[in-house]
Amino acid sequence: MSYIVPIGPYHPALEEPVHARLYTDGESITDAEVFIGYNHRGIEKLATQKNFIQTLVLVERVCGICSHSHAFAYALALEQIAGLKVPKRGEYIRVIIAELERLHSHYLWLGIALHLIGHDSLFMHSWDDREAIMDILEELTGNRVNYGAVTVGGARRDITDDQRKDILEMLDKIEKSNIALRDILLADKTVALRTQGVGVLTTEDAYRIGAVGPHARASNVPVDVRKDAPYSSYDDFDFDIAVWPSCDVFARVVVRVLENVESIKIIRQALENLPKGPINLGTRIPKIPAGETMFRHEAPRGQLCYKVVTDGGETNKRVSIHVPTFKNAPTVPVMLRNNSVADAGLIIASIDPCFSCMDR
Amino acid sequence: MQEYKKIAITKEEIRPIAQKMRDANVHLAMIHGFINDDGKPNVSYEYEIGPTIESYTVDGESVLPSIVDIYDLGAEWAERELQELMEIRFEGLNNDKRLFMPDVMFEGQGHIMVTPMKELIDKAHGRKEDKE
Repeated sequence: MSYIVPIGPYHPALEEPVHARLYTDGESITDAEVFIGYNHRGIEKLATQKNFIQTLVLVERVCGICSHSHAFAYALALEQIAGLKVPKRGEYIRVIIAELERLHSHYLWLGIALHLIGHDSLFMHSWDDREAIMDILEELTGNRVNYGAVTVGGARRDITDDQRKDILEMLDKIEKSNIALRDILLADKTVALRTQGVGVLTTEDAYRIGAVGPHARASNVPVDVRKDAPYSSYDDFDFDIAVWPSCDVFARVVVRVLENVESIKIIRQALENLPKGPINLGTRIPKIPAGETMFRHEAPRGQLCYKVVTDGGETNKRVSIHVPTFKNAPTVPVMLRNNSVADAGLIIASIDPCFSCMDR
Repeated sequence: MQEYKKIAITKEEIRPIAQKMRDANVHLAMIHGFINDDGKPNVSYEYEIGPTIESYTVDGESVLPSIVDIYDLGAEWAERELQELMEIRFEGLNNDKRLFMPDVMFEGQGHIMVTPMKELIDKAHGRKEDKE
């Protein structure tokens, strides 16, 4: 018997609303469609009415998980148009916050994935580690989300010696548990049964559709903006791109656990070599000349693109935001095909979707 | 450091360039658009060549050939988005449904990037009052 099974827009497996329609033959999915737009807030339209600092605050609210990435990418785009040179200490602080954000985002996703897999004790362990990261972000910026850590021309808040010590202590704690988490995930039978061979996105399909970020890296596509097109101070740090060849949900779990190790490495190097000096170019609203650019930043979910067009005035002529989920979501129907309906929630969640980002 | 290189092209060059890039496995970062000072669309096809973005730009054309058959779903959503935000049509794109806004919103008419903000607010208000 063939059925059409709707999932969402509101569903326990989804953190945010999206609608998927599964075409099934018995338990097997033969085709699928994804419908988006439930979080559309017209942010790009609103950005054309705001000055540059107001837009910085606005774009940080595109997403609650990768808020820093949006502000960072927008600031980088404006700095490129204006030819601004950000003080090194400011660059390092922005990278530290970006990597802390990646860590908490990956732990959030790991927790959700483990919960969907049915491994609730590991879910609780991973979210316990995430809390330690969130506490540090709160200590550094005053907020658990929407950190307000970036301004055009640098960082808004400095990192004190005490805070530096606290971050290093937190990294020691999560590094140990991340190793334990990795060893359990690689060996656990429950995780293997629920994830191996499930939701396969072949390397060829990943290239064809243009998948990005950890999702692409889990399909054996070695792309990472931090390496391919270095920006800010990423050139100064030694880290590897985590790639896994199995192309299934298991690979997506493993890649994120391995990326946690790399992020910890980057933060340690940045803290050990934190340069002295100013953190930004001052607090005045910067004069941005007429220009146009597109800047890429490796957000937790993949490549985040900000196209900014200015006309020399006080507001943006156009801010076009293209987020990793916009590139990864079209892979979902491909991954769902020939899988069972019971795995659909996990497969949709496996791209680490952020529908607030995608809908803007 | 990342670089941005803008290259002006005609609409006839869009598909040959896309095919050349696809054959070389070049990632299409995005298709962006905005309305220029003459009120005409300006559409850029942004390709990633290492640390450089090569931005192939078509200015002043509101009907463009679709590259969905070349870049598949990687281009379809981008073309649908532009079609929804401003008055641009992609020939060969078979799906002209809105991507973001509900079909019934603003009577299914108009493009929010080119509609003045006041008009959008008034429309939204009108709908609210109708309901009350």
